[in-house]
Amino acid sequence: MTELLPNISNKLDHVLAGLPMLLPELVLTATFLTGIGAGLFADRYWRHASFAVTTVGIVLAGVCSAWQLALPAVDNLLFGMATMDAFGRYARLLTAAVCLLFVLFAKANPGFNAHRKKTSDLYSILLAVHIGLNLMGVATNWLMVFVAIEMASIGSYLMVGYLAKEARQTEAAMKYVLFGSVCSAVMLYGLSFMYGFTGDLNFTSAAHIQGLEGTAPLLVATALLFVFTGIGFKLSFVPFHFWTPDVYQGASTPVTAFLSTAPKIAGIALLARIGYAWPADSNAFQYLHTLILVSAIVTMLLGNLAALRQTNVKRMMAYSSIGHTGFLMMAVLAYSSGEFAILLFYLAVYALMNMGVFMLADYIEARTGAVDVDEYRGLGKVLPAAFVSFVILLISLTGLPPTAGFVAKLLVFSAVFNNWQLTGNAGMLLLLIVGALTTVISLFYYFKVPLHAFLRQPEQERKTLPAHPIVVGLALLMAAAVLLLGIFPSWLMA
Amino acid sequence: MNPHLLTILIFLPLAAAMLMMLVPSTKKTVYKYIALITGLLQLLLSGAMYWLFHPKGSGITEERLYQFVDHVPWIRLDMGSLGLLEIDYYVGVDGLSMPFLFLTAFVMVIAIGASWDIQKRVKGYFILLMVLDMAVMGVFSALDFFLFYVFYELMLLPLYFLIGIWGGARREYAAIKFFLYTLFGSVFMLLVIVGLYFSVTNPDTGAHTFNMLYMMNPANYAPDSIFSAFTQRELFGISARLLGFIVLFVAFAIKVPVVPLHTWLPDAHVEAPTPISIILAGILLKIGGYGILRVCFSIFPDAALQSAWWLGLIGVVSIIYGALVALGQRDLKRMIAYSSVSHMGFVMLGIASFTVEGTAGAVFQLISHGFLSAALFFLVGMLYDRVHDRDIYHFRGLASLMPRFTVFVAITFFASLGLPGFSAFIGEAFVIIGAFNAEGLHGLLPRWMAIGGSIGILLSAVYFLWTLQRMFFGQLRVKGGNAWVAALSDASPRETFVMVPMLALTLALGVCPALALDNINASVLALVELVTGVDH
Repeated sequence: MTELLPNISNKLDHVLAGLPMLLPELVLTATFLTGIGAGLFADRYWRHASFAVTTVGIVLAGVCSAWQLALPAVDNLLFGMATMDAFGRYARLLTAAVCLLFVLFAKANPGFNAHRKKTSDLYSILLAVHIGLNLMGVATNWLMVFVAIEMASIGSYLMVGYLAKEARQTEAAMKYVLFGSVCSAVMLYGLSFMYGFTGDLNFTSAAHIQGLEGTAPLLVATALLFVFTGIGFKLSFVPFHFWTPDVYQGASTPVTAFLSTAPKIAGIALLARIGYAWPADSNAFQYLHTLILVSAIVTMLLGNLAALRQTNVKRMMAYSSIGHTGFLMMAVLAYSSGEFAILLFYLAVYALMNMGVFMLADYIEARTGAVDVDEYRGLGKVLPAAFVSFVILLISLTGLPPTAGFVAKLLVFSAVFNNWQLTGNAGMLLLLIVGALTTVISLFYYFKVPLHAFLRQPEQERKTLPAHPIVVGLALLMAAAVLLLGIFPSWLMA
Repeated sequence: MNPHLLTILIFLPLAAAMLMMLVPSTKKTVYKYIALITGLLQLLLSGAMYWLFHPKGSGITEERLYQFVDHVPWIRLDMGSLGLLEIDYYVGVDGLSMPFLFLTAFVMVIAIGASWDIQKRVKGYFILLMVLDMAVMGVFSALDFFLFYVFYELMLLPLYFLIGIWGGARREYAAIKFFLYTLFGSVFMLLVIVGLYFSVTNPDTGAHTFNMLYMMNPANYAPDSIFSAFTQRELFGISARLLGFIVLFVAFAIKVPVVPLHTWLPDAHVEAPTPISIILAGILLKIGGYGILRVCFSIFPDAALQSAWWLGLIGVVSIIYGALVALGQRDLKRMIAYSSVSHMGFVMLGIASFTVEGTAGAVFQLISHGFLSAALFFLVGMLYDRVHDRDIYHFRGLASLMPRFTVFVAITFFASLGLPGFSAFIGEAFVIIGAFNAEGLHGLLPRWMAIGGSIGILLSAVYFLWTLQRMFFGQLRVKGGNAWVAALSDASPRETFVMVPMLALTLALGVCPALALDNINASVLALVELVTGVDH
């Protein structure tokens, strides 16, 4: 201990110098504490207190991230724990936007409002998850990765179980916890291998790369597979997707919307960061890319094919989000360091579409009680604005012009095609073909919504209940944004 | 002259649709009047453009020979190592597209006329119709592949709803089948577009481009790119250029449609409401033919030449198969749908001949079939509106009950089967001449294909005349008895008003084909020259 003493001031200086880079996280931490206080004491006098604190905190954190976009990239933050570059900062900003949408969404959700616990605890959990996701996008150290994933996961377990009343919901939460813990454990095991091979936990360091090169390829592949399990659980790609449909269906809709969007942003950022940390000719790089390639193809196919058979809208969207994960992984493969514009564009558009669709599903459920596609019969006439925006968002999810989903899809195809042209990797061509095929498949199930809502007649007159208009208002805005960004993508890409 | 005439023509329906959105849905009659005024304005505008169009403007590969050009940068994205994404709003007209713009405006007016009695969700119906109108106009004038694709896909959605909401009993099935068939073709087209994008560079800026005209010039292809004509790269064992051609061809062939990709058509036609059948047959099938000429042939001329025999075969098979199946139909609308398959086969045969006569005949046939099929579906719609039945065997001796209607049917049938003096004759005759000359000229098509086409004309005479005889001649006998007899009133003034201009047009084009051929000719010459490399 004593030999470390002379270094303490140096180390402290390093830590202090790094802290400004983590300003958004610090703001969120402060909000987290204030939020708990507000929930305990202030909500009694003004029931929107914790909501206001959370909103302000997230917006403030977002503003800090936006302000930091212009700063130069910082490597080796906090002794190699994280790298703060533009990609991580954009991912952070995007996560903040999704969290903000979630807060508004949850505020308007009747289930949360009627609940005894109200929403103040949910907000605190959300802030913790937000911090975890932020760190996931910038982590360069395996321990940091693990801590970030756990932080996001544990918060997510609580969110899923927050409203659990029926057996189905409890089952979903339980399944999520059990599956998540097993995946974490497996990942940790893999990480211990990685540390054993290299003696270094920073996966971007030279020692780590050298260590991996010096290890038997089979061992590296096994360790990578274990690590992949943990990330796969967060991203829910095949074969780590089993929990998704049950959890998505069982959780309350705002939580489902959040879980199918925010962790994907951070998870994809993490995957891209790991995927390009190593030199392209190293064994580890090759294994990881083959793994991602195979899972991307299987995920796209399985997600979309399984969605075909679903009748519950949330379950269908769960499988659709699995399909989109496959597409995102394809984008990761085409991504090469420093050029993250396409990946971020797809993520941003995906966040818009996915949040929008779940908001509408929730709004429709609140107004009419319909949760299955069959129950949407003839509702297009009853709730025209909601269903028109629903259709626009679904078109965008399918990837048809003139929506942002199309531009995003085209950009990913372009990136993959370019990659194929440069490397001649036949897997890339396969990805393109599968990507195109699944577009056609996805049309089948996405169009069940307009099919029932507009083409079929209702069996009896539907009574509608009142619901908070903010959700449908937001969804309308998002549908309009999806259309506008489809025609003028440069508004976002600049 | 306003330099943005073409842009106004394309986006006029969009403005109308926005106007309709503002009108409260209680005022049901307002929508059709807005639609009709928009349609008439478009007709006037496209008529004026047709009048102003200079017949020497051959277009095809050269921007300066296009007319009414609007070319402004649209999307510019810096994609790092992928280069600058260069997408333009680029529209223009040449002899290939000009007649179709007029045809679209004309058929739209007919379709709006046929929708006059729509009662169900009027607001949505006319808004969708206007969006469809915009998309079709856009497809016929886009010269940037990205823009083309956007308009091309934009057509699908309004059609899905128009068939799906306002259609017949099996409309859901027909709507999704139509959508899936077309989407299947077009997603793979998207991959080829991406491939072309990375192969072609703009010689002025050095950036990759979606500009179709640049894609037509082999010099603009990067030497090591996938679709470069010089390196001839291979994919899955065949030349990449041939593969690209096949993918694009399949996408458009589904639209045409050719046998065996035609099975969506009878369902869509039978289930669609009359105005949508009119638009489907009158305009949308033409997009297939237009796309093959504008995109497949112009961008991949070498591959097109290589596939001439197969294209011709597809044409002959479509002609004969379509006619034989039409012969076996009981449903009048289905019969006409299959006759469309047969008639579109002539288009394939004509363009496969790679002769000036054949190609000009094919374009002429596309236009002529646009008017005639619109007229045919309108006539079926008149019958169906009255008694909600279309079975050929449920009617007999209609001539005595509905004399004016019978005259319309007889003229349209005779015009369709290729009676000299009507437009279809010119189109089909030119196609057969082209196909016959092809063997002597460059040996691309054997003579028996031309003979196959002639047999198709014979068969079309059989099914049209037989139908005429079964339904209209003889003793009056209808399935529904006196109720039907009372319901089967003769053509109303509105219906007459719609029919007469159509028949007048096919007669005018039949008697004086130069009306259309003058404007088409220069472009067809340029196209045939581009593909065959022979200077005419």
